[in-house]
Amino acid sequence: MPEDASAIGLSGSAERGRPRLSRAAPFVVAALAAAALWAAPLVLDAFAVNVLTRSMIYATLAVTVDLLWGFTGILTFGQAAFFGVGAYATAMALSYLGATPEWMAVALALAVVAPAALGLAVGWLSFYHRSTALYASVISLVLPIVVTQLIYSGGEWTGSSSGLVGFEVLPLELEGFFRLSAFALVAATLAAWVFVRSDAGRALVAVRDNDARCAYLGLSPKRLQIALTAALAGVAGLAGFIFANASSVVAPENAGFLFGTELVIWVALGGRGTLLGPVLGTVAIDYLAANLSGDLPFLWQLLLGATFVAVIILLPGGLAEIARRVWSALPIGRSAGFTPRLVARSSRPAADGAGAPLLTIEGLAKSYGSLTVLENIDLEVRAGELVSLVGPNGAGKTTLMRCLSDGTEPFKGAVSIGGVSTAGLTPNRIVALGVGRKFQVASVFESLTVADCLLLARASHDGLSPIGRAETIGLPQAALNVLRMTGLDRMLAEPARLLSHGQKQALELAMVVALEPRLILLDEPTAGLTKAERTTIGAALKALTGELGVAAVLVEHDLDFVREISSRIVVLHQGRLALDGTVEEVVGSELVRTIYSGAAHG
Amino acid sequence: MLLILDVLTTAAILFVTSIGLLAIFGVLKIINFAHGAWITIGAYCAVVAAKLGLNPWAAAPLAFVVGAALGGLAELFIIRPLYRRPLDAILATWGLGIVIGQLITLGFGRDVQFTPNLLPGAVQLLGVDYSAYRLVALGAALVIGAAFAFTIEGTRLGLSARAVIMNEALARGLGIDTARVRFVTFMIGAGLASLAGVLLTPLASVDPNMGVGWLIGAFMLVMVSNASFLALAAACLVFGAAQVLISAFVSPIFGSIAIAVLAAVTLRISPKGFSRA
Amino acid sequence: MAEAARRAEAPAGGDLALDEVASGYGAVSIVKGVSLRVRPGEIVALLGKNGMGKTTLLKTILGMVALRGGAISIDGASTAGLAPAKLVALGVGYAPQEQPLFQDLTVRDNLRLALSSDRLLPEALERAFGHFPFLKDRLSQRAGTLSGGEQKMLILTRALMLKPRLLLIDEISEGLQPSVVDRIANALAEERAASGASMLIVEQNLDFALRVSDRWAVLKLGEIDDEGVAEAEARDRVLRHLSV
Repeated sequence: MPEDASAIGLSGSAERGRPRLSRAAPFVVAALAAAALWAAPLVLDAFAVNVLTRSMIYATLAVTVDLLWGFTGILTFGQAAFFGVGAYATAMALSYLGATPEWMAVALALAVVAPAALGLAVGWLSFYHRSTALYASVISLVLPIVVTQLIYSGGEWTGSSSGLVGFEVLPLELEGFFRLSAFALVAATLAAWVFVRSDAGRALVAVRDNDARCAYLGLSPKRLQIALTAALAGVAGLAGFIFANASSVVAPENAGFLFGTELVIWVALGGRGTLLGPVLGTVAIDYLAANLSGDLPFLWQLLLGATFVAVIILLPGGLAEIARRVWSALPIGRSAGFTPRLVARSSRPAADGAGAPLLTIEGLAKSYGSLTVLENIDLEVRAGELVSLVGPNGAGKTTLMRCLSDGTEPFKGAVSIGGVSTAGLTPNRIVALGVGRKFQVASVFESLTVADCLLLARASHDGLSPIGRAETIGLPQAALNVLRMTGLDRMLAEPARLLSHGQKQALELAMVVALEPRLILLDEPTAGLTKAERTTIGAALKALTGELGVAAVLVEHDLDFVREISSRIVVLHQGRLALDGTVEEVVGSELVRTIYSGAAHG
Repeated sequence: MLLILDVLTTAAILFVTSIGLLAIFGVLKIINFAHGAWITIGAYCAVVAAKLGLNPWAAAPLAFVVGAALGGLAELFIIRPLYRRPLDAILATWGLGIVIGQLITLGFGRDVQFTPNLLPGAVQLLGVDYSAYRLVALGAALVIGAAFAFTIEGTRLGLSARAVIMNEALARGLGIDTARVRFVTFMIGAGLASLAGVLLTPLASVDPNMGVGWLIGAFMLVMVSNASFLALAAACLVFGAAQVLISAFVSPIFGSIAIAVLAAVTLRISPKGFSRA
Repeated sequence: MAEAARRAEAPAGGDLALDEVASGYGAVSIVKGVSLRVRPGEIVALLGKNGMGKTTLLKTILGMVALRGGAISIDGASTAGLAPAKLVALGVGYAPQEQPLFQDLTVRDNLRLALSSDRLLPEALERAFGHFPFLKDRLSQRAGTLSGGEQKMLILTRALMLKPRLLLIDEISEGLQPSVVDRIANALAEERAASGASMLIVEQNLDFALRVSDRWAVLKLGEIDDEGVAEAEARDRVLRHLSV
C-alpha cells in the first residue's frame, strides 16, 4: 500500500532541510575546535599549554564516562583503572623495550588491547541477566582498587608506589603533545557525538531507560553494555598512552579510585548525557584547579565538593542544563529534531503448520517459598487463536505470563514455543522464537521519541546504524494500523514520556506488533484506558489474530472486552486452571458466576 | 593462636566500622558514601577530647552525639531530596565527604594527629602477648553488636525500622511516620560511624582522609550482607579471616584487596550474599 | 493529651465525604471523579470488578496516593495534604489487601505496629481477643505461618487496634471459607455496635458485602456506575455489574 506509506511520511518529510544541516553540525564544530586548538599553543604560555594538555586527556576520559553513565546509565568509577592500565602498559613497554618506532607501535597496541581485554572481563562480570545497576557500580569501584594494589605489588616492574619515570617518549615538543591530546579529544568527542546521534546511539538511551523492554524487543542489553565497556576501556587506554608520553611519568594514583570519582564529578558538573558539557567541564575544572589550588589548596577542594553536592541535588543536568535552558529560550534553539518516515513493509507470510500448537504448556507449577501460585497448568494455543486468561486478583495470571516469556524464571513443568523448549532461555532469546510481550504498565522508552521507540522495535530484524540515521522505518502494516488508529503516526517526534497513558499503551502495542511475533502475550492492555481506546486496541488485536494468524494470550479484567474479542477463554482460579472453553461456554458457566460473586473457595 | 586472635579482632574492627553504614542502607536503601567522613569526624572528636584534657574514653559518647547531630542535618538537607535517586545519593554523599574532609583540613591541618591510646600495652593470653587494645576492640564490637541487636529487636524504634525495611508501604499505611524513622536511623548510623572513628584511633593514623579506606571495606561488607545484621557479622568473620590469612601467607597487598574481590565474587554468584544463609 | 480529649468529645463514628475525588499513579488516572458519603456509624460496600479503582480509592482516602482532584473530608474537615500517619492519628483504620502483613514478624509485633505506644497494647489486645479468641495463643507465632483465614482475621484485628472511628477495609473476605466469612461479618457488626465506627469496605464477595453493609456502590473504570441500599433484591442488580 504505497499511498499509505507516503501519507504517513508527510510529517517527517516536511522537515527535510533541517536534518542535513544538523547532521553536519558535529563535523563543523569539530573542524573549528581542531583549528582553534592547533593554533592555541601559539598564544598560550608554557604553563597553560602543559596544564591544558593534561586537561584535554582527562576530558577524553570524561567523554567515555559520559557515554557509560550519562547515556547508558552505568555509574562507573572504573575508567580510571583502564586509563591507568593503558598508561602503565605504555610506560612499561617504553621502559623495558625502548622507544623505537616499532616498540612505540607495540606500546600503543598494548595500551589499547590490555585495557580493552580487561574491560571485556569486567563487562562480563558486571552485566548478566538480572544484574543490577548497583552491582556494576560496585565492580567499577573494586576495579581501580585492585589495579592500584597490583601496581603497588609490581615491585621494580611497576615502580611500586613511586611509579615509573624517565622512560623515553614520543619525540614531540610541549606544543606537539598539546596538539596530540587535542586531536585525540576532538576525535573521541566527534566519534561519540556521531555515535550517540545515530540509530545505535538510541539503543544506549533505551538500555538506560528500560533494559527489560530492550530484552523483550529481542535485543541483548547485556551484550551492548559489555561491548561498550570493552570499547571504552580501549579508548581510556589510548588516553593513558598519550598521558604516559606527554608527562613521561606514571603513578599509582593515575589508576586509583579517587581519580575515578573525580572523573564522575567533572562529568556531573559539566552535565551528564551532553558530551560537550563533560568535555568543557573537565577542561575548565582541571585548568582552574591547576591555577587555584596553589593559592587556595583546601578552599578550592571545598568549593568543588560543595558545588558538586549542590549540582547533584538541585541541577542534575549539570551546568549544561543552564546552557540548554538559555539556548532553548532563544528562537534559534527551537529546531525540531530529525524524524524518520514510516513506510509499510511486506509482512512475513502467515504462520505455517496450522495443525501444530504454537504454544504448549505442560504441567506448569510455580511457587514462592511455601506459597504455591500456579499448579498443574496445561494449555495449548494455536495460530490465529485469541485466548483470554481471566480470574480474580491473585489467581496467578501475571505470574503465568512471566513464566511464558522468561525461561530463566524458576518453575516446574515445560513451556515450548513452536516446538522449541524455552527452558533456561533469557527473554531476548524467547523473543527470537517469535514471542512478543506487552506489559501491564506501558513499557516504552520514556526519553526517546515515538519514532525512536519504533526504530528500536525493528532493531532485532533490521539492525541499527552506528553512524547515521535511517531515513525510513519499515513497519508491518498491522503496526502502522495501530499507530494510525490512535493518531500516533502524527506524533512521531514527540518524546514518549509526554504521551498520555492510552497513547503509551498503544505505542507499546505497536512496538510489540512491529516485532512480527507469531505469539503475542498481553497483560491487561486496556487497563486505565477510555472506552474509545479499548475499542481501538480490541480491533487491532482481532485483525492481528484473525487476518494474520498471530496467536494471542491476553490477561484481562474487563470481561466485556474479553467477551467481545476472544476466541477462547481460560479461567484461572487460585493458581489452577478452572475452566477452558469458548466464550459461550464460559460466560454461561455457573462456576464463573460463583467465582466472581466471591463464594468459591479452597 | 595469634592468627585466631587476629582474625577475631580484625572481624570486630570491620564490624564496628560497617554497622553504621548497614543501618542506613537497610532502612533508607541509600548508600552513605560520606560514611568515611563520619568515621573521620569521630576520630577528630578524640583529638579534640585529648586537647581539652578529657578522659580518652569520653571521646566515644562525644563522637556519637556529634556524629548523630551532623547526620541529622545531612539527612534533612542532602539525603531527603534524593530518596528517589539512589545512585545520585551515592554521589552527593561522596561530595559531602569531600566537603567534610576539607573542612577538617582547614580546621586541623592535613598532618597526622596523635591521640592518647585508649588502652596501651599488651596482655598475656593463652601463652601469647597480645595487644590489649585489640582485645578491647573485640569487646567493643560485641557491646555495640549487642546494643544494636537490642535496639532492633527490643525497642519500638527497632520494630518500626524493621517494618520499614520489610514493607515500607504497609508501614506507612499503619500510620508509622516513615520519614521520622529514616531520619532517626540516619542519625544513629552516622553516630555509629563516628563512634567507630574513636575506636580506630589507637589502630590507625588520624588524618583528614583516613575514612576513605574504611569506607570501601564497609561498603563491600554491607553489600554482601543485604541489610541483615547477622549476615554482616558473618561476612566480617569470613572476609576478616580471609584478609588475615592471605596477608600472613600470601602477601599483605593481596590481603588488602581480599575483602573487595571476595565480596564482588560473592555477589556475582549469589546476589543476596550472606543474608541467604 | 489534647488528642485524646478531642477524640473523646468527637462523635463515635467518623463522617467521610468524597466529592469528585480523582487520583492515579504517574500518567495513569484511575479514580475519575467519585462522590460518596459514609455517615457516622454507617457501613458502605464498594463493589466492582478488578482494576476498577477500588483499592486506589481507599489509598487515596488514607493519603497514600495523592489526591489529584476533588475533595475528601472527615467530619467536615478537609484531609488534603495529610500524611497517612496523621490520618491514622485522626482515627482512620486500614486493612489492606496486597501484602497486608509483615510475614516475618510475630503476630504480637504486627499488632504493636498499629499502636502509637506499647502502653496501649494490653487493653487493645484484650478487645482483640473478644473478637478472635484464637489470637491469644498465637501472639508469638510468625504471621506468615498463620492460615489464610487466620491472617485475614489478624489484618482486621490490627485495623481495630486503635479504636478507629472510620475503617477502610480492602477485600477482607477474599478466598475464605464460609465459616471464616461469618466470623468476620460478626466481628464487623460487633465492632460497630460497640464503638459506632463507620466503615467503607471494598469487596468482591457480593453476598458478604450485602450482608454487612447498609448501602453499596459499584465502581466501574474509576467512576460510580450504580448505587443503592443493601437489600436482598439488590443481589441480581449488582451481579450484572460483576459477572462475565
